[in-house]
Amino acid sequence: MQSLAYIAKRLLLMVPTFAIVMVIIFLLVRLLPGDPAIAIAGDKASDADLAAIRERLGLNEPLLVQFWLFLTNTLQGDLGRSILMKAPALGVILDRLPTTAFLTLYAVTLSLLIAGPLAFVAALNRGRWPDAAIRAVFQVGLSMPVFYIGLVLLTFLAARARLFPVGGIGHGFFENLHQLFLPAMTIALYTSAIVMRNLRASIIEVLDAEYVQFARAKGLSSRLILGRHVLRNALISTVTLLGLSIGNLMSGTLVTETVFAVPGVGRLMLEAIFARDYPLIQGLTLTFAVLVSAVFLLTDLVQSWLDPRMRLT
Amino acid sequence: MTETTLSLPKSRSRLGLALRRPGFLLGAAIIGFSTLLALFPGLFAPYDPNFIDYTAVGQPPSAAHPFGTDMLGRDAFSRVIWAYRINMQMAILATVFALVIGVTVGALVGYYRGVADMIFGRFVDAIITFPFLVLVIAVVAVLGPGLINMYIAITLVGWVYYARLMRAEIIGQMGNDYAAAGLVMGYSDRRIIFRHLLPNAITPVIVYWMTDMALAILLGSSLGYLGLGAQPPQAEWGVLIAEGRNFITTAWWLSLMPGIAIVLTGLGFSLLGDAMADLLRPRG
Amino acid sequence: MNTRRIASALALAAVLGTPAAAQDRGGILNFARYDGSQLVDPIYADRNPDIWMVGSLFDTLLRLGADGKSVEPGLAESYELAADGKSVTLKLRSGLTFADGSPLTGADVVFSLDRARNGDLSSWAGLIGSIDSVAADGDRITIALKTPDPTILTMLATFNTAIVSKAAFDAAPGATDQEKSAAIFAKGGPGVGSGPFYLCGFEQGATMDFCANKGYWRQGADGKPLPYLDGVHFQVIPDDATRILKLQAGEVDVAEFVPFARVAELKADEKLNMELFPSTRIIYSPINVRATRADGSPNPLADVRVRQALNYATDKAALIGLVLHGAGKPMSSPLMAAATQDAVNMDPLYGYDLEKAKALIAEAGLPQGTKITFTTLAGSADDATIFAALQQMWAPLGIDLVVEQVDGPTRGAKNRSGEFDIHTYGWVNDVNDASQVVGWLGHTPTANAVGTGWEDATFNGLYEAAQTEMDPAKRTDAFAQMQKIYAEAAPLLFMYETPFAVAVSNEVSGYVQTPLGANVFEEATVSR
Repeated sequence: MQSLAYIAKRLLLMVPTFAIVMVIIFLLVRLLPGDPAIAIAGDKASDADLAAIRERLGLNEPLLVQFWLFLTNTLQGDLGRSILMKAPALGVILDRLPTTAFLTLYAVTLSLLIAGPLAFVAALNRGRWPDAAIRAVFQVGLSMPVFYIGLVLLTFLAARARLFPVGGIGHGFFENLHQLFLPAMTIALYTSAIVMRNLRASIIEVLDAEYVQFARAKGLSSRLILGRHVLRNALISTVTLLGLSIGNLMSGTLVTETVFAVPGVGRLMLEAIFARDYPLIQGLTLTFAVLVSAVFLLTDLVQSWLDPRMRLT
Repeated sequence: MTETTLSLPKSRSRLGLALRRPGFLLGAAIIGFSTLLALFPGLFAPYDPNFIDYTAVGQPPSAAHPFGTDMLGRDAFSRVIWAYRINMQMAILATVFALVIGVTVGALVGYYRGVADMIFGRFVDAIITFPFLVLVIAVVAVLGPGLINMYIAITLVGWVYYARLMRAEIIGQMGNDYAAAGLVMGYSDRRIIFRHLLPNAITPVIVYWMTDMALAILLGSSLGYLGLGAQPPQAEWGVLIAEGRNFITTAWWLSLMPGIAIVLTGLGFSLLGDAMADLLRPRG
Repeated sequence: MNTRRIASALALAAVLGTPAAAQDRGGILNFARYDGSQLVDPIYADRNPDIWMVGSLFDTLLRLGADGKSVEPGLAESYELAADGKSVTLKLRSGLTFADGSPLTGADVVFSLDRARNGDLSSWAGLIGSIDSVAADGDRITIALKTPDPTILTMLATFNTAIVSKAAFDAAPGATDQEKSAAIFAKGGPGVGSGPFYLCGFEQGATMDFCANKGYWRQGADGKPLPYLDGVHFQVIPDDATRILKLQAGEVDVAEFVPFARVAELKADEKLNMELFPSTRIIYSPINVRATRADGSPNPLADVRVRQALNYATDKAALIGLVLHGAGKPMSSPLMAAATQDAVNMDPLYGYDLEKAKALIAEAGLPQGTKITFTTLAGSADDATIFAALQQMWAPLGIDLVVEQVDGPTRGAKNRSGEFDIHTYGWVNDVNDASQVVGWLGHTPTANAVGTGWEDATFNGLYEAAQTEMDPAKRTDAFAQMQKIYAEAAPLLFMYETPFAVAVSNEVSGYVQTPLGANVFEEATVSR
C-alpha cells in the first residue's frame, strides 16, 4: 500500500515536470537559427517553394498555436514527420532505440563486471598497493575522452589485430555481443571508474560500521558478513548511482555511436541537429527525457525494495 | 562568525594531513603547471600555433618540431601548448557562472522554501531529465557553434546541478542551532544566508566544482571534436584530436599528444577534488 | 610470396582492363557510404545519397554516353527530336520488364513522366517544365513540348525522369503519391523499377542491399545480362576514419569520400586502388556585390577591382595543396566545372599575381586595414583551412580578414538575405547541362546570382535566350559569352574543382562514380 501511494505520488509529480520539459523542447527547437524550410528544401530551392513548406508545417502560425499543436499531437503519439528520413519521427526513433538500449545495457553490464571485483579487492586492501594501483588506473580512465579511446580501440583492436569488427552493427544477440563490444567497452571505461569509486567507498563504509564490527566481534564468518551486509549495501548504492548516471550513459552514446558507426538514437540526435530536423530533434529530446524519468522511477522502486527504510521517506 | 572560527583548528590539522597525500601534491603540481602554460603559452611554445608552412607539411617529430607538424605545416607542439589557454579557460568559464548562479539560487530557495522552491523543484526535475550532453548540444545548436556559445550552453544547463546541491546543504544547515540563533537575534535574512549558512554549506559545492572543471574540459573537447565547440584553426585539444584522427596509424603523435594533455589535466582536477573532499569533509 | 605476387599481377591486369580474365560474375560488393539513403525514388530524391542511387534501381529512357556529354539510347532504342523542336518521339525496346518480370509498357512511361513533371509532387518538376503532354501508342512514346527545349534529351537521361511501375504504385497502400512511394521503398522488392538492381534490404541509417535484376536489358562483355554482381551491400559509416579502417581491415571493398589528406597514404597501399573520379563539383565563394552591406555600411566589395584583386591574390595552387593535398585543379571556367557541357577553358582563371592585385587595390583606393568577414561552415576543417590561408594571402593587400562560423542552414539564410561579405559554398551538377549551374550562379531572377546580388542585363538576356535556343552551336556561343562576362565581373572568388575520392579494393573493378556523383555498379565485378 505504502509503495503504491509512493508510486502514485511520484507519477503525479511527473506531470508538472513534463509540462516544463515540453516547453523547453518546444522553445529550443523554435529558437534554432536558420530557416527550417531551407533545411528541408535545400539551398537551391526557390522562394515560392520555401513559402509553401512554411505554410505546410504551420511555421506561420503564432507560437502559442504552434505549441498547442505540438502538445496535443505529442499526447496522441504523433511526433511529426522527420524531414531527414521522410517518415514519421516516432517510427524512426523506435527503429533505432533497441540498438541504443542494447549498447547501454551492455556497457552497464561490462562496467559492473569490471568494477565489482576490483572494488572489493581495493576495499579489502585499503591503503595498500593493490588499492592504490586500482584507483590510479580508474582515475586515468575517468579522465580519458570517450572519442579518443574509441578511436584507439578501433584502430588497434579492430583494424590492426582484427579481434573485433570495425564499427557497424550485426544481427542477433550473440553477434552483437561481439560486434558492439568495443563501443560498449568505450562507454564502460568511464562508467566503471565511477562505479568502482562508489562501490569501494560503500564497502569501506559498511566494513567500518559499528554493526559489522560488532558482528565480527561476535565471530561471524567474514563470508557471512560480506554476503549479508556488505553486498546488500553495495547493491543499493550501485543501483542508485547507475540510475542517476543514466543521463551520462546516454550522453556517452552520442559520441560513441558516431565513432563506431552504430545506428542508434545517439547518432540520430547528432544527425538531426546537423540537419535541422525539427520534428526529429523534438521527438528525440522527448524520448531521452521519458527514458531518463522511467529509469529514475525504476531506480526508486528497486531502491525501496532493497532498502525498506527508504519507503518511509 | 564564531562557528566558522571554531572549526578552523580542525581544518588545519586536516590540511597538514592532506598536504602529505601524494594525490594532492600531484594534483596541485599538474594544475599549477597547466595554469602556467595557460597564462604564458608564448614562453613555452617555440612557434606561432596558427602559422601555416606549406613547405613543412606532416613532418614526424624532430628536434625542431618535437611533436612533428600537422597537415598544414603548423608546429604540433606549439598547438598543444596554446591549447592549454583555451582548455583551462574552458574549465573556468564553463563552470564559474554556473557555480555563482547555482549557489545563489540554491541558497535562496533553500532558505525561503515556499512556492519558489516548489517551482524550482519541478524545474530541476525537468532539467535533469535530459541527458546533459543532449541538452547542451541542443542549446549550442540554438545559439550556433563556438566557444562563447558553448560556455553559455553549459552554464544554462549546469547551474541547476550546483543549485540542487546548494539547496540541500542550506536546508541541512538550517537545522543547526546557529541558524536558529541568528533568527532569534534578529539578523537580516541576507546576513544569515551569506555570512552564516553559506560558508558552512559551500564546501561540498566547491568539491563538486573541482570535478566539474575536469568534466568541463572533457565535455568541451567532445564538443570541439564534434565541431560544435572551439572552431579550427583555434588550437583546442578536442579539435586537435579531431584533426589528427585521420592519421592515427601514420602520424599517431598528432592525436596522442593532445589526448595525453586532456588526461593529465583531468587527472589533476580529479586528484585535487578528491584531496579537497577529504580535507573539507565534515566530521562523521 | 609467389602466389601473392601473381595475385597482385592479376589484380593489376584487371585494373588495366585486360579482357583476359573474361568476366567475373557473381559475388556481393561491400560498400561503405558516408551517409545513408532515405528514400530512393526518381522524384523524391533530393539529397545526394538518394539522387546518386536512383540510377541503380530505376532506368531512364535515354542514357548519358561514356564521355558524360552525349546522349544515347536507354529504355528507348531510338529517339527523334522534331524539326521544330516541339516534340520528341521515342520507341521502347521490345521485351522490357521490371525486375519482377512484369512488362514495362508505354503506360508506365506516361505515368512516370506525368509524375515527374507534377510540381505538387516533384521538386525537380521545373527541369522539365517545357513538357506539355506525354502520350503512348504501343511502344511509341510522344512527348509534346510547349516551347522548344534544348535540354529535353539530356533531361530524359536524368534521374528524375526514370521509369517506375504504374502497377506497383496503383497497388501500394497510402493516400498520396509520397506515402505510396515510401511504402514501396519500405517494403523493397523487385516490382517497381527496371534498373540493373532492385532494393532487397534496408535498415534506416545502417544498411541497404541491392540485388541483381536478372532480366536487365543491357548485356555485359560475355553476352549475358548485366550486372555482373549478385548484389551490393551498403553500410553507412559517417565517420571518415572509421570508414577507411573498415576498408583496410578488409570488411568492405569500397570506401567513398576519402578525405583528401589521406589520398597519398591510400595510394601507396598496394591492396587498394585510390580512385579520383572526375566530377562536376566546384568550390567557390560568393562575394556580396551590393553597394551597401546589410547593416547599411558601404561595401568595399561592390567595386569590381577589389573583387578581381582578391581573385588575383589567391594562390589557388597553394590552396589546392593545403585543402586537397594536390588532388584537384583550379576552376578553369568561372561558371561551371570543366566536365560540364559548354565549359570554356579559361585557364589560368585569375592566375596568382600579387602585384596586379596590389595595383588593383591601389586603383580602387581601398584603405589599409579594411575589415572583410569570411563566413565559413562551423566544424568544417576544409573551411577553416581556406580561411587561414586566405587570411595569410590577402594580408599583403591590407585586408584584415575575420572569420564568422555558422552552420549550414544559417549560411543558406545569410546567402538569401545578403547578410555576408564572402562565404564558402560548393556545387555539384544534378543535370548534365550548363543551364542549371549557370542559372544558379549568374541569372539574377533565379537565385540572385548565388546570393551575391550581382545583376547584368546582357548576361540575363543571354541566359534566357539560351533556354530555348535549339541550335547547339549558338547555344554554346551564348554560354561562352556568359562565361566571359562573369569572369570579368568576378562576383565569386573562383577556387577549385575537386574529384570524387573513392578507395577501392584490388578485388573490385568496374565501379564508377559519374561526374554528377551517381554510383554506378552495373559493370562492377569482384574477384575473390
